[in-house]
Amino acid sequence: MAGQSEPDSRLHDLFGAFLGALAAGILISTPWQVDTTGPDPFYKGPLIYPLLVLSLMVLASLPSAWRLARPPEGAMWQLDGGGFPLKPSVVFIALIGFLFGLVIMGLSASSLLFMAGSLYYLGHRRLSVLVLVPIIVTGLVFMVFKFFLDVYFPTPFVVEWLGG
Amino acid sequence: MLENVLLGIQSGLGLGNLAALAFGAFVGIVVGIVPGIGPMVGMVVLLPFTFVLTPEKALSLLLGIFCGGYYGGAIPAVLMRTPGVPSSLITSFDGFPLTQKGEAQRGLSAALMGSFAGGMISVFILIFLAPLLAHVAASFGPPEYFSAALFGVVLVVMAYRERLSQGLLLLGLGLWFSTVGIDGPTLCPRFCFGIWSLQNGLHIVPVCLGLFGIGQTLILVEKQILQSETMSLTRRTLDFTKLVETFRYWKTMIKSGVIGTFVGLLPGTGSILASFMSYEAAKRTSKHPEEFGKGTPEGCLASEGGNNAVPAGAMIPLLTLGIPGDALSAVLLGVFTINGIYPGPLLLLKEPVLINTLYFSMLLINIAAFLMLAFWLRPFAMIVRVNSSILAIVIMVISVVGIYAVNTRIFDAVVAVVMGVLGYILLRLKWPIVNLVMGVILGEILEQRLRESLSLGDGSPIIFVTRPISVGLLMAAALIIIIPLLMDRRRRNRSA
Repeated sequence: MAGQSEPDSRLHDLFGAFLGALAAGILISTPWQVDTTGPDPFYKGPLIYPLLVLSLMVLASLPSAWRLARPPEGAMWQLDGGGFPLKPSVVFIALIGFLFGLVIMGLSASSLLFMAGSLYYLGHRRLSVLVLVPIIVTGLVFMVFKFFLDVYFPTPFVVEWLGG
Repeated sequence: MLENVLLGIQSGLGLGNLAALAFGAFVGIVVGIVPGIGPMVGMVVLLPFTFVLTPEKALSLLLGIFCGGYYGGAIPAVLMRTPGVPSSLITSFDGFPLTQKGEAQRGLSAALMGSFAGGMISVFILIFLAPLLAHVAASFGPPEYFSAALFGVVLVVMAYRERLSQGLLLLGLGLWFSTVGIDGPTLCPRFCFGIWSLQNGLHIVPVCLGLFGIGQTLILVEKQILQSETMSLTRRTLDFTKLVETFRYWKTMIKSGVIGTFVGLLPGTGSILASFMSYEAAKRTSKHPEEFGKGTPEGCLASEGGNNAVPAGAMIPLLTLGIPGDALSAVLLGVFTINGIYPGPLLLLKEPVLINTLYFSMLLINIAAFLMLAFWLRPFAMIVRVNSSILAIVIMVISVVGIYAVNTRIFDAVVAVVMGVLGYILLRLKWPIVNLVMGVILGEILEQRLRESLSLGDGSPIIFVTRPISVGLLMAAALIIIIPLLMDRRRRNRSA
């Protein structure tokens, strides 16, 4: 594992520098983000540890920031040749929709729609996959969470709205 | 003592516990067989379900997935040269050549027997070694605990030293995540950014589930990892005559189990190293070293013996010091703490029945996983034919609903989804995601022990170097940083 050279793609440096900048921003704003009005001395208080941790992050990001500013010869932006992650992005957006759907439409309708839509987008065209998989999984999830685990799911907005 | 052992056995043989460990082993085998998923995803997806279980059953369920995953990982490695879990890659060196020769059953028998032997031997070492380590750790105060946790962190970071700055960044990020929310000792809110829900902190379950569950499934959506066309298996069950043949390698079985346990004991080393070291040790002492890599059952047996010994090995620092050795045992630590049980030297004294149940359950898990695969080998192997994108979508739904179910808070699901994106980016960049998880898990321990130690020393950090065990641990951590860096430098100079 050890002894390999640093990765070439500049995306590594960009992401590293981004995390470092984020940590620096939080570090600067820490006195306003942490309530230090208590009676404890600094070493017992809630501020010392976050300061150490955020400083570690800033320090660890310096090599990335340096390479981002002064890229080594031959450095490129290409990561692994996989291209832009279109499929994961679309599925991720659908997943966010699924979360909203849980509140708006309820568990069953939301998971049925998310699964059928995502599977269709991912290239599945067989009716057995597009219809049966969502129905079976939704049925199982519904049974397990609502009946077996007795989990409370809020009344969907749509039902509340229709019910007045 | 004997009473506690008997109570542990009784609890372990309880119907609920048997069902939990058998279900865990089943799920573990399934997620282990499907390349790209692995036991971590299985554990985090089922984590929310453990909240309705007693600690013994919850741990049996998750340990079943942990151990079962390594059993399952060998199947596609032998049949298709596609390791189900990364450490099974070494198994494929000899397993797949055996399959090509039409001797898949010999490869699978050796792999399964190696897994079983490694698993059982490591549990016996755990039973023997844990009380000894706990006895030493009983004299630990806050500075020693802090130094031990720091030692574990250093081991994990240095295990991925080719990505040192990224590893440190992720560790720092994980440590910072652990500070979000109300600070326990002072009840001061920290880094809530005006979001009320953040006062509860970033809980380990949504963080892990997002990073591993959702992050990994987004990768699965993108890549068609499986190539099941090459898979072939004629019998439904394992050929038991081939299984008996593996007993001629009994020395390799024992050796691999011992190596795997001790590698698993060290934080951050991982099961790949255990597999590789066991394989190399077997090759060195074999009567036919020239057959290694060309298709010898001994190679499969050694590799699987090594990686299957890791779960019990990783339990040793977890149970005795409360320090998880890897991301999988970090999740187990989460289960302990969620149930109000804090692993450490006193755990063995305070909860002897739970510990004995755990030991016995681990033995039973190995038996259950072995029997399941021996009798349902082909049905299990057929799982690789399931399309990975279907699995990914199903796992996403279960993950999001499961995480909501823990506290019936949509906010937790939102955290999991955000962590899912972060997990996807980190997996795609191949950054050591384990450092982030270790940071989240160990952050609270490190902070608490640091503040307690500084209080003991009236604010002076000198306290860490005035206590012998603490000094020893800090020096060991320093050596772990310096020696590999010097070795890398010397290697670079030599090659230049």
